[in-house]
Amino acid sequence: MCFKNLPIEFDAQGVASLKGGVADPYAYQPREIKRDKLEELMARNGHIKDVSISPVTRVAGALSFHAVADLQEKKFLEANSVATIFRGYEVILKGRDPRDAIYISSRACGVCGGVHSTAACEAIEMAFGISPPPLGTVLRNLALALDFLYDHPLHLFLLAGPDYSQVVVQATNPAMWEKAQVTDAPNAEVHQFKTIGDIMKGLNPLSGKLYLDGLKMTRVPREAYSVLFGKYPHPQTVVPGGMSSTVTITDFNETYTRLQKMMDWTKRMILLWDDLTEFFYEYNPEYKKVGARDANMIDLGMWDDEYSYDASYARCNEWGEARWATPGVVMNGELVTTKLQQINLGLEEFVEHSYYEDWTQNGNIRFQTDPAGSPLSPNHPWNKETMPKPSKESWKDRYTWDTAPRWDRQVVEAGCYARIWTTAAARKMPKNQFMESTGHSLKFHMPKTMLPEMDFEWKIPKIWNAFERNRARAYCMGYNLMIGYTMVLKAFDLLRQGEDKVSTKFEVPKGERIGVGFWGAGRGYLSHHLVLDKGAIVNYQIVTPSTFNASPRDPFGNPGPYEEAVLNTPILEDFDKPSDFTGVDMLRAIRSFDPCMPCTTHIYGGEKEIIREVNTCACDAEG
Amino acid sequence: MGEIPEKHVGEAGSHKQHISSTASLPDQVGNVGRRTMEELVEDICASQGKTQLSLGPLEKVYVFWLAGMSCDGCTVSVSGATEPALEDLLTGSIPGVPLVILHHYVLQLEAGDHYMRTLELAEQGKLDGPYVITYEGSIPDENLTVGGEPFAGEGSLPLFAPSEERRRVSTAEWIKRLAPGAAATIAIGTCATWGGIPAAYGNVTGSMSVMDWLGKDYRSALGLPVINIPGCAPVGDNFTDAVQAILLFLQGLGPLPEMDELGRPVWQFGETVHRKCGRAGYYEEGTFATEYGDKECLVEVGCWGPVVQCNITEKGAISHMGGCMNAGGPCIGCTMPGFPDKFAPFYKAPPGSTVSSNASRLMGSIIRPLRRISQRERNREIRWHDTVPSGWAMEQGDTSITHKILEFFYERMQFLGSNRPGRDLPEEKYPTGYRSLPKQVYGENYQVLPEERAEKAAKNNK
Repeated sequence: MCFKNLPIEFDAQGVASLKGGVADPYAYQPREIKRDKLEELMARNGHIKDVSISPVTRVAGALSFHAVADLQEKKFLEANSVATIFRGYEVILKGRDPRDAIYISSRACGVCGGVHSTAACEAIEMAFGISPPPLGTVLRNLALALDFLYDHPLHLFLLAGPDYSQVVVQATNPAMWEKAQVTDAPNAEVHQFKTIGDIMKGLNPLSGKLYLDGLKMTRVPREAYSVLFGKYPHPQTVVPGGMSSTVTITDFNETYTRLQKMMDWTKRMILLWDDLTEFFYEYNPEYKKVGARDANMIDLGMWDDEYSYDASYARCNEWGEARWATPGVVMNGELVTTKLQQINLGLEEFVEHSYYEDWTQNGNIRFQTDPAGSPLSPNHPWNKETMPKPSKESWKDRYTWDTAPRWDRQVVEAGCYARIWTTAAARKMPKNQFMESTGHSLKFHMPKTMLPEMDFEWKIPKIWNAFERNRARAYCMGYNLMIGYTMVLKAFDLLRQGEDKVSTKFEVPKGERIGVGFWGAGRGYLSHHLVLDKGAIVNYQIVTPSTFNASPRDPFGNPGPYEEAVLNTPILEDFDKPSDFTGVDMLRAIRSFDPCMPCTTHIYGGEKEIIREVNTCACDAEG
Repeated sequence: MGEIPEKHVGEAGSHKQHISSTASLPDQVGNVGRRTMEELVEDICASQGKTQLSLGPLEKVYVFWLAGMSCDGCTVSVSGATEPALEDLLTGSIPGVPLVILHHYVLQLEAGDHYMRTLELAEQGKLDGPYVITYEGSIPDENLTVGGEPFAGEGSLPLFAPSEERRRVSTAEWIKRLAPGAAATIAIGTCATWGGIPAAYGNVTGSMSVMDWLGKDYRSALGLPVINIPGCAPVGDNFTDAVQAILLFLQGLGPLPEMDELGRPVWQFGETVHRKCGRAGYYEEGTFATEYGDKECLVEVGCWGPVVQCNITEKGAISHMGGCMNAGGPCIGCTMPGFPDKFAPFYKAPPGSTVSSNASRLMGSIIRPLRRISQRERNREIRWHDTVPSGWAMEQGDTSITHKILEFFYERMQFLGSNRPGRDLPEEKYPTGYRSLPKQVYGENYQVLPEERAEKAAKNNK
């Protein structure tokens, strides 16, 4: 029984139905945000500081953050995550030929290059009733492994990295910098940075070796990606029913060489992030609370098994569990489900604190059940009709263009760490020579390169915080790399068998069809929900990892993951007077999620016209 | 490498020489290094000592990267650029090219008001160098959000004020504020250059391009209209290449970078992508892919390359590698003003191809067999007559009479008006001079395989 809050129960065969005797099963009473006490406190106390960071830099896209800090108690009293852009991608998709969805939705986000096109592709395949030939699936998996091999280093060394650099540590915790310079790095022999101070110097923007090498290494997987899929971002070879890549031995060899190049560097970097993390914990155990949250996470899995994946909703539990990353929901550190249908049923989106109107009020609920006959919430993406309502920012009311997606009405976070966590816990990974899911860890073996062969083990951590997110991201580099390597070997094997077909023929169906792409981005969970009719898109909904992570409070009063992480963060930086406070601990907490705003706030599905007001102009821009 | 001089770190007020000194400002929220990226870059350069040689009037240029309705794909592309590499531009490591101080939300050390303050200083003309604005993403019509939060906002004003006194500022407003004083305004990516996907049919935000927003009469401080570098995402190198070309021109070193009537660099966008496509040869021979994954020309599975101005098949996507059609992806016209609607639905053959590809099919049906005949002969060494001594060869000695006749005339035409290699014409002036020695030594039939020669010798001996 995976649901605690939703009115769904399962019989002995696992068939879902609504709990009997409940009149309006999905109804809820939204809780108001109370701020009176806080406002009173702010008026009274000089050490309560209103902190507004607009924009939060070193994240992808437009994010602002508002917080109230108690500089005496060294903690945060309020936190608001604010998405400041809205583009309306789904209305652009509405009424279009479904074939357009792949390349248009791809442009929802250019940070992970091909995740949206692939998710759209899987949604279309479900709706069209087609699936790729084995080599098509293997190529798709390879693309998404290469994608993250660029994406994770970008975050670790260019976005989050500078927060742990000499420049920042010396400015915000001078004593720690002193200590770091005389602390030997335990894995120096492998990564070649003698002290923790050397690592911190390496992370200095634009001059540190780790920063510059990190930037250069992000190009290596992108080169292989471009050879196989045309370009990065927005690959040009994603087609319904497979890929359109013309593969040659040269393409695979060039990819192989680049994976080998990444292998050596990845071995070093995993151990380097281990050393940095342990140093912060030892220097001050309070750092374990930076960005801390209960381990509640969600992932849809990815990297399909080439023989199991058939794109059907009926069999998605089976092909989902056969994936190289297992789908799952983790609640308080425990895996509660690995079934895609259950994960899908638990999904709801709320807009009480976002600049949208609630679509459930107009009574037009499209689907009462999913294609398998299980009950579906009016707040589920297949039923979503979001109507934008540009309003004034108010911490008590609406304050973001992001919505609040929840699972079983609980706050879950998404990330590559969620993916490695569910995979490690589920013990469902296909048998192979390099990786093993043990139930409490993910082990992977990396072959000899310049460095000898090495074994790594990412253990499911007892605590969950900013440092563990970054550490898991470093381990994910190794995990993704071995997925990529496995896929090249699989592709070779298929070619040896003469299986060189990469696509399937398709026709656009005319009837009403429904589809969902369950997939993953560099930052975790990604779903595209699609409804077709008469050969055109009638509804298209995207839920991304940062839609979860950057979400505002929900109607049940729970803050979103960034907000909760900041509320749990102690203020550990040194400052003499309140005006010297920089907020570095809070920024470390936010950045550890690897925020990606472009795809967070594309959402729009409504028909409502916005009335243009020409008399007043608040933006001055036309003046 | 990597160490920043310590004297600069953590000492409030130690940056008197910088106009944007931030450590002494009344509030430090977001200024996690107690200096901005601009100050950090100056410190890095200062740690390398003073430069003596000056190769032009410009020492540094600020580049403000603003984003509206964007996906960050242009940023990601440019981070992959290597011709020149982004990090070389940003550290002043290219001789003759001024130091590029990039002010970018994805890379900046500082956040919040300290980040926005540099933009305000630029608007007020208080920077110690010229600035360029680069805009990524389309510009929404913020008249639609009157009374609410903008569709695309960046930062809030006034800086360092309590949150209730602030208002979020749209990127549309920032560009109006900064464009008049900018040395140049560069629109990067198809959203900024032409409107792109946010401005496609169904556009709810009133999105448009930078040119549309600033108008026909816009001129930068240097008198330039908007420079457009399209692509979704653009080739990252096209951006750094154009920036370097413009800077070298301004330094009095490089040639004039020419722009076309839509503000695109001519040397990048003057040709159709088909002209340099690796598959254009298949088109010429009239052979077309019918399934995705096929190696032939992609026109009939939805490629618009013959009418699209782009250089990706020549330049590659990154490090001269990849490129849509090179990998098997049909061109959907992502560099063009008509993208996406004038290229939709994707994966469908462009209507114009019915005429042109059938014409080339007809033409190809004649050209192809002729080429295969002459190709076959080009696959033969001059000393292979009837035998091909390859263990891999499927057939040997398969030269037909027709082939021999054709090749005879072919060879005549090949050397018409010129000499065959190994000539003995014209008459040699110096008897031992140019004579082809092997012929002298081995006689007429020296260009034969050892086996053949042995056979001939045996015959002669008999």
